[in-house]
Amino acid sequence: MSHDGVPALRDVTFSVGAGELVAVIGPNGAGKSTLFKAIMGAVAHTGHVDVDGSHCHHRRERTAIAYIPQRADLDLEFPLSVDELVLSGRRRFLRFGRRTTARDRDMARSCMASVGVDNLAGRRLGSLSGGQIQRVFLARALAQEAGVVLLDESLSGVDQPRAEELVDLFAALCRHRGTALLVATHDLALTRRRFGRCLAINRRLVVDGAPAAVLDPAAIESVFATLDHPAHIDAA
Amino acid sequence: MGFVDWFVDWFVDPYGSAFMQRAAVAALMVGVLAPAVGVWVVLRRQAYLGDAMSHGTLAGVAAAYLLGISITIGALAAGLVMGLIVTALERNRRIGSDAAIGVAETLLFSVGVLLISRSDRIGVDLTHFLLGQIVTVNDADLARTAVLSAVALAAIAVSFGDLRAVTFDPEHAAQVGVPVGRLRYLLVALISVTVVVSLDTVGLLLSVAVLVTPASAARLVTDTVATMTALAVAIGVTSSLGGLTLSYHLATPPGPTIAATTIAWFVVVAAVAALGRRSHGRSHGEPVELDHLGT
Repeated sequence: MSHDGVPALRDVTFSVGAGELVAVIGPNGAGKSTLFKAIMGAVAHTGHVDVDGSHCHHRRERTAIAYIPQRADLDLEFPLSVDELVLSGRRRFLRFGRRTTARDRDMARSCMASVGVDNLAGRRLGSLSGGQIQRVFLARALAQEAGVVLLDESLSGVDQPRAEELVDLFAALCRHRGTALLVATHDLALTRRRFGRCLAINRRLVVDGAPAAVLDPAAIESVFATLDHPAHIDAA
Repeated sequence: MGFVDWFVDWFVDPYGSAFMQRAAVAALMVGVLAPAVGVWVVLRRQAYLGDAMSHGTLAGVAAAYLLGISITIGALAAGLVMGLIVTALERNRRIGSDAAIGVAETLLFSVGVLLISRSDRIGVDLTHFLLGQIVTVNDADLARTAVLSAVALAAIAVSFGDLRAVTFDPEHAAQVGVPVGRLRYLLVALISVTVVVSLDTVGLLLSVAVLVTPASAARLVTDTVATMTALAVAIGVTSSLGGLTLSYHLATPPGPTIAATTIAWFVVVAAVAALGRRSHGRSHGEPVELDHLGT
C-alpha cells in the first residue's frame, strides 16, 4: 500500500480471532490509521482482508467492520444527538424506504445501555466528554452488529481512570459478544498492563504477541525508530 | 389606524392583483425549497459550490434562450456540466476543491455572458436572469417550480438519514452501505434545481442568499438537522414573503429585497444566539469535563 508512490505499509500479515482484544501500537505516521482503513476497504491496497473466511471489500462483508475515527477527525458541533448517531449503525439492516423500525430503535437503546450511555440519548456530541464519546461510538458499532471494531486512538484525550474503564468495557464486549477489537494507541504502559496481544507497526509489522513478552527495549527501539518519510504516511 | 387596518394595508392589499398572487406562490415555494437544500450545503461546508453553481447556470440559461429550448433544461444541464467539470478537476490532487469550483464557475459564467453579448434577442433579459423578476411569473413558471420543488423535497425526505450520515461521517456511512457517491451527485442536482427555481424570484446572483443564509441562521440555534431544517424553512418562507411584501411598499426590486430580508433574519438570530450563550455562560459557568484533562 502506498501514498504518492511512497510505501505506507508492507509485509503486514496477521489474523485476529473472534472475541480477541488487540492493541495496535506505533509512532505517529507508522501506518496505524492506514492499516485500519485498508481493513475497512476505505483505501486501495494490494493485500487481502478476509472476514469470517470470505474475502472482504464486497459491500456485504464491509458492513460487518466498524471504524471509530480519531476524535480530531470528527465535527463534534455537528447537529446530531447521541441516539441519532447510534441508530445510524442500523443502516445496513434497513430495507424499503430506509425507515428505522421499532426493533431498530430498541436495538439502539439496548446497545447504548450495554456501554452505559443510555442516559445520554438526546445529548449533543459536543456536550460529551472524551470517554463518553468513545462509548457512544462503541454503541454505534454494536448497533451495526459489527464482528470487527477498529478504534483509532480511542484512548487519547481520555484521563487514566476513564481509559482503564474503557479497556474494561472493550474486554467485556470481546468476552460477551465475541467481537474482535483492534485499538490503535500510543499508550505503551496501558498496552503492557491491559492487553493480551499487541501488533507493533512501523510501516511493517515489527512484532506481534503478548505485550509483556514482545515489548522489550530492543523491540520498542525498532518500532519507534525514526521514519524515513514521515510526511507521507498515515494520512489517508 | 387600528391593527386590522394596518394589517390589511400591509399584508392584504399588495396581493389584490393576479401577478402579485402568482409572485407570492413562487416566493413561498422558493422559501421552502432553497433552505431545505441549503441545510445540506451549509452542513457540508459547500456554500461556495452553491454560489458558483448559481453563477455557472447563466451559460445554460443563455444557451437555452439561443436554442429556443426550455430554460429549465438549459439550467439543469449547466448544473450537470458544472458538477462534471468540478469532479474531473478535483481528481488532480494538486488542485483543491475550491480551485476546481472557481475554474468551473469562471468558465460557465463567462460563456453565459459571451453568449448573451452575441445575441440581441436576449440582451434585455440579462437583468431578469441575474436579479430575478418575480412579478412576471406566469402559470407555466409556477407549475414548473411546483413540480421541481416537489421532486427535490421528496428526494431530501427519502435520503434524509443517509444525507445526515454521509455528511457527519462519510467513512462510516460507506461502511454501512450508504451510496456516498450517488448522494454527492444528488446534492449537486438539488443545488441545480434550487437555482432554477430561484431564477425568477431572486435571480442567479442572489440565489445563494436564499440557499445559504436561512440555513446558516438556523444552524446557530439548533441541535438536530430536523429542527435546523424546520427553522431554516420558517426563515426562508417569512423572508421571501416578507421581502416581497416589503418590496411592494418600498417600491424596491423584489429579488434584492428578499435577499436583504434573509440577511436581516440572520442578524436577528445571530444576536439571539449570542445573548443565549452569554446568559448560559453566566448561569452555568464554563463546562469542565474531567475526561479532557488527561493525566
